[in-house]
Amino acid sequence: MEEFLSLTLGGVVNGSVYAAFALALVLIWRSTRIVNFAQGSMAAATTFIAVAVIDSGQSYWVGLIVALLAGLVMGALIERVIIRPVEGGPELNAVIVTLGLFIAIQGAVALFAGVNQRAFVPPFSNIGYEVREGFTLLSLSPNTIWTVAAVVVTMLLLIALFRFTRLGLAMRASAFGQEVARLLGVRVGRMLTLGWALAAAVGALAGLLIAGDVSFISPTFMDQLIVFGFVAAVLGGLDSPIGAVVGGLLLGLALNYVRGYLDDSLLGMASLVILVIVLLVRPGGLFSTTPARRA
Amino acid sequence: MTRTSRRLVSVLAAATIATTMAACGGDDDSGGGGGGGGGTAEDNEATDPGMTEDSVLIGAHYPLTGPAAPGYSEIPTGVQAYFDFVNANGGVYDRQIEWRYLDDGYNPTNTGQVVNQLVLEDEVFAMMGGLGTATHNAALDLLNSEGVPDLFVASGSSLWDNPEDNPYTFGWQPDYESEGKIIGQYIAENLPDAKVGLFLQDDDFGEDGERGIRQYIDDQIVAAESYTSGNTDLGAQITALQQAGADFVVGFNTPIYTALSQLTALRLNYQPEWFYSNVGSDPQLVGSLLERFSSGAVTGTSLLEGVYTTDYLPTVDEVDNPWVQLFQRVWDESGQEGELTNFRIYGMSQAYTMVQALQAAGRNPTRDDLVAALEQAGGDFEGPALAPFRYSEDRHAGIGGMGVSRIGADGSAEELTGILITDVGDAEIEEYDGEESTPPESGIPDEEAIG
Repeated sequence: MEEFLSLTLGGVVNGSVYAAFALALVLIWRSTRIVNFAQGSMAAATTFIAVAVIDSGQSYWVGLIVALLAGLVMGALIERVIIRPVEGGPELNAVIVTLGLFIAIQGAVALFAGVNQRAFVPPFSNIGYEVREGFTLLSLSPNTIWTVAAVVVTMLLLIALFRFTRLGLAMRASAFGQEVARLLGVRVGRMLTLGWALAAAVGALAGLLIAGDVSFISPTFMDQLIVFGFVAAVLGGLDSPIGAVVGGLLLGLALNYVRGYLDDSLLGMASLVILVIVLLVRPGGLFSTTPARRA
Repeated sequence: MTRTSRRLVSVLAAATIATTMAACGGDDDSGGGGGGGGGTAEDNEATDPGMTEDSVLIGAHYPLTGPAAPGYSEIPTGVQAYFDFVNANGGVYDRQIEWRYLDDGYNPTNTGQVVNQLVLEDEVFAMMGGLGTATHNAALDLLNSEGVPDLFVASGSSLWDNPEDNPYTFGWQPDYESEGKIIGQYIAENLPDAKVGLFLQDDDFGEDGERGIRQYIDDQIVAAESYTSGNTDLGAQITALQQAGADFVVGFNTPIYTALSQLTALRLNYQPEWFYSNVGSDPQLVGSLLERFSSGAVTGTSLLEGVYTTDYLPTVDEVDNPWVQLFQRVWDESGQEGELTNFRIYGMSQAYTMVQALQAAGRNPTRDDLVAALEQAGGDFEGPALAPFRYSEDRHAGIGGMGVSRIGADGSAEELTGILITDVGDAEIEEYDGEESTPPESGIPDEEAIG
């Protein structure tokens, strides 16, 4: 029972990090119908920017804000300069461009920060609370609470943005029907740029949360998360922020049970098995409301 | 057929003919190779690929990036320093040793590619010190089918000791099974009440170690948990060890997982005693990885204070050891960045054995002569290793023993046992009674050529 409890809590924490990453993928999918494979190395880049800020003597929070701003700028720039020319063309072109970006950004980070592993100290203690004598819940620490809270707040803010603001409405309209939105006076190009910027900022947050979780980072530290984040996003239907979060949590739980009850080495395979099953049973994802719609 | 593709075909054809002719030329030369240590530089001949009149090319693969890079990426710089030292003193039989190593990121797929490149494009004479079990295993068939001496694989897997199937491959460091046996016996004799948990890398490294340790303390082991290199979340494994009531954890893991397991145990408020096998126990490296987490409360090497480990080479803190003094001098002279570390001592020690092997192989050796030299003379090589090699015609196993020690506050190791010699299977563990070797005055070995 104790093992189950600790695996479940661990799954929720890991899952919320996958969810943050999936949120970033969903945002870009919603705005430009592109799966952004460069998301992982973009987040690694912003994490190393935060590390540089922290190393220069600033606090974690200054580092976090700088990383989020850097994410906004990087996302907007990438959309404007690199993605815009392939938008609206064949889907494969955009995918290849993001794959190329993935490698290029990773290389740039390695040039700038070196390839060695380095320690990353989380903002709060990650020493687990002692539930009773001799039993400490690893997954319940000040830092894991911060991690989950940060993801939940981000999700709520995004939902509020899309549901209740004119800007969110305009973004949804641009994603849904560019022509119509343009006719109604929405500056579609700006909305797309904004979508990428927001996504990169959410990705930057995910990067920092993951760095605090894994303790040691190198330019490739996000690579594993790309697969998990992608599976989480597809689980949730690629289109829905709530779906991304629920998909992330489900994946986190499933993988942690695999890790605890079966074997560590099965993680990668388990996530792909889940992906295949979901695509077979509900091709549109668990939360898709319009299964027939295609990109 | 277009004009460009016609031209391409003719270029390819010309290239093929050229390589074939070069290959035939090589065959003619190798007939005269081998034997004899006498003579001068004028007697030098090119023999097999990589062995020219004035140079010999040695290759290797290391994780210079990725999760296994911390520490291991320093090994080839140590090798470089020692080869530079030998080259500055005239090289081996008036040949300069050239050292070419490539990054495989600890990924077996990459290892296959880089070894292909080293063997087929760069044409190395021999490989030395290729690092990692799964990684090197991916290159094993290629090296043996091409007849490239594959010396001193930097891994304690028993895979390298199989002269029948892999006649060109030689191990160097003690195998993990023997290490497991020595650890097991130490615990059985000195800590009979310990409830032992095992923390294992889920490949041959962990499996061999587990097999060895279970020979002695199977009934003391309360849990065995494994991790996959690359997965950084050890919560489930360390929790399981804690729940099983293990108060003494033995780890067969790489250095970064020593750091991660220490951190995870700290987060769980779990305080067993730790015994890390030689591979994962470098106090300098692990200390530097963990330093930031202690926020100055504890610094550097003291984080591993009281941890048990094993040694088969002198370590950097033994400043009075003549081998360490030699290596310090070699490192300082090489002018490379950074300090002398245990990983660089490891690299220099391997380079030392390599020079011994090249000397024993004679003035104009073929690749097969080098292998024969190790089989005939390698068992008698004296070097920095604390116990002798097990090389013979039937065995390609490396160093046959090690001692158990405990890490002190300043990162130094306190010897708890003498050097214990053993072997795979049910070989007994015995105390080594040979004398400790000292380096030659010149710092360069002087092995006689065989035959």
